[in-house]
Amino acid sequence: MVGSFDIHSSKNGIMMVPHTHALEIRNLSKSFGHIKAVRNASFDVPEGSIFGLIGRNGAGKTTIMRMMMNIYLPDSGEILLRGKQVDQEFRNSVGYLPEERGLYKKMKVLETLMFFAELKGKKGKAVSNKAKDYLERFDLMDRMNSKVEELSKGNQQKIQFITTILHDPEFIVLDEPFAGMDPININILREIILEKKREGKMIIFSTHLMDFAERMCDHIAMINHGKIILNGSLSSIKTEYSQKNVTLTYEGDISFLESHPIIEKVSDFGNSTGIRLKDREQTQEFLRLLLDNQVKIKRFDAEDISLQEIFIELAGKGPEEELSFDQ
Amino acid sequence: MINNRIIAIIKRELREKLMSKSFIFMTLLVPLFMLLMIGLQMLFALYQGDKGTRIELITESESLTESCKKYLAKQDFIKDETYAILYDTVPRKSLKSRIEDRKKEILSGKLTGVVFVPSTALKDKQIEFYSKTPTNLTVFEKLDNNLNEVLIDQYFSEKELTDEELKFARMSVRFSGYKVSEKDELEEEGYGNTALAFLFALLIYFSVIFSAGQTLNSVLEEKNSKVVEVLLSSATSREFMTGKIVGCTITMFVQMVIWLLPIIILVTTSWITLPESFTIDISYGHLVFFLFNFLLASFIYQGLSATVGSMFNNPQEAQSGFFPVIILILIPFLLSFTIMRNPNNPLAMAASYVPFATLIVMPVRFTIVDLPVWKLILSQLINIATLMLIFPISGKVFRIGMLRTGTKPSLREVLRWLKS
Repeated sequence: MVGSFDIHSSKNGIMMVPHTHALEIRNLSKSFGHIKAVRNASFDVPEGSIFGLIGRNGAGKTTIMRMMMNIYLPDSGEILLRGKQVDQEFRNSVGYLPEERGLYKKMKVLETLMFFAELKGKKGKAVSNKAKDYLERFDLMDRMNSKVEELSKGNQQKIQFITTILHDPEFIVLDEPFAGMDPININILREIILEKKREGKMIIFSTHLMDFAERMCDHIAMINHGKIILNGSLSSIKTEYSQKNVTLTYEGDISFLESHPIIEKVSDFGNSTGIRLKDREQTQEFLRLLLDNQVKIKRFDAEDISLQEIFIELAGKGPEEELSFDQ
Repeated sequence: MINNRIIAIIKRELREKLMSKSFIFMTLLVPLFMLLMIGLQMLFALYQGDKGTRIELITESESLTESCKKYLAKQDFIKDETYAILYDTVPRKSLKSRIEDRKKEILSGKLTGVVFVPSTALKDKQIEFYSKTPTNLTVFEKLDNNLNEVLIDQYFSEKELTDEELKFARMSVRFSGYKVSEKDELEEEGYGNTALAFLFALLIYFSVIFSAGQTLNSVLEEKNSKVVEVLLSSATSREFMTGKIVGCTITMFVQMVIWLLPIIILVTTSWITLPESFTIDISYGHLVFFLFNFLLASFIYQGLSATVGSMFNNPQEAQSGFFPVIILILIPFLLSFTIMRNPNNPLAMAASYVPFATLIVMPVRFTIVDLPVWKLILSQLINIATLMLIFPISGKVFRIGMLRTGTKPSLREVLRWLKS
């Protein structure tokens, strides 16, 4: 937690309250011609959290991230860093991995890493050593003096990720970080992200892969058609949405549930099925119903819901009013 | 103004451009290319390809035919058998039938043509040439002076002139140019400064065209490889553009100084001596003015090419967008040839104060004529004003263009970017 405070006045005088939100996105809008890419988006990114901006492809995640990075200027709205408008100070303290990766193809690997670190004001032996450590970790030490164009696409992605974190940024903004990576490298990437969190860094990443968001994020904002339709802490969101939900793994025929009066919705996710009841008090009745119909139950999780289920539930309805959950 | 991000971008540009093989190649290639161009021009001028020319030379009097025969026999092109000339005396009334007789030979190329020197040529010097190619300049170049001498001899042969008088009559007028300047003495001026003016125009033109093309491609590459998004997350578009342009300009400047080294040595030392008619009369101040002017030219054209590069997505579209920029440099370059012939022509004087044109015209004029300091300062103020006008416009287009994809923008769209 960085020492920053909000000032509140009351009958008892002025109170300094610790600022809990590192970044505040306020009423952000951006249009490209007739297309409204982002519509009045607002959400807060708490200190020390891993924050996920989730949504379908083309929902507006990248546009929001580009506005956060001051690459796009918003048509309206503001982005506050601990209560102040974001400026060059934020840019210097952020590491950004864009969705569309790009490096100088003719530059050598180590030169590339040093160049991007220098852009952030970091240079010298210490940075060079750190770059070599990361190369070692990603198994790229022997390619240090290779030109970027000589590396495979996957290895170029790893280099791009190292450029994002080499200058030891306080904020790490990753746009679709896992796209195009193999499982082993996804694991290394995830380890580093969690390591950075433990170091007190703030990580904001966008993804359309809900299971990654669910496994890694403390807080999320869900965007659909340029509009934030849900935001808050993942745990409170899940608590709220899981109350009438049962996650079921079974063998047998459950088609009778489709028209049953206690069932609101049945969502088939392949390995498991999400069942939404009309009333949370009907869980026992539902279990009985399954047993009476000879359904072989392998897993029955009451009050459990996946982020994907929540996402499909909300995004499937089209543009909705915003739902916000306190931490 | 210059911060660590701009410096990092400048350093990268210098590493990529100044330390590259293409820089060494270009630095050596351009002077070689220029020498090659001059050499080829001289070679082509020497090689006229007229070996085996056969001419029938006809006059209307025996004495004129004899004079021609006697005079032309002394010429090298007859001695070395490049030309073979058949002589005859035929009156004008028979000329038509003679041409008819020779027609077959002329059309087959066995006979290059028939030169007819009528008796009236002794009054009006009008000579006729009948050929398949009647505007053959090499034939005219070979014969006109010689036949003129023969006609002069014939004309004055009855006037009882001395050889000395005859020699005077044959002589052409020769101009010697003396430069009137602030200096006390009047100095005879050779063609050195005109040649230098040509060299300056050529160097600015080549350097700007090549480097602007390089910048255009490099911006396109940054845009297409998407590296621009990473850069813009660290630096502003203005910082990125400034770093890039300053880096390219430093490279161009170093290259220009290398190209000018022989001139700098010539001005600062006595190591090189030029023939009298090619003596160069320029000062340190002149070189400083040229380099300062070149620096501004680099900034302006780098800015324009970076802007054009940011607007398009592929080299084909960018080349068509780059065409107006080429025109901006090509017109003053072509104008500089007119200035070399007459530095005081009104067009040249006006162009010296026209944005973009002044970048080439002024250094060329200043090399040939002495200009007051205020005129030089005015031209540079115009360049600085052009630069200050271009940079904010370029910055806006660059910022939007660099992240734009899809079809090439219309002029209307670009104007909308500028208003945004």
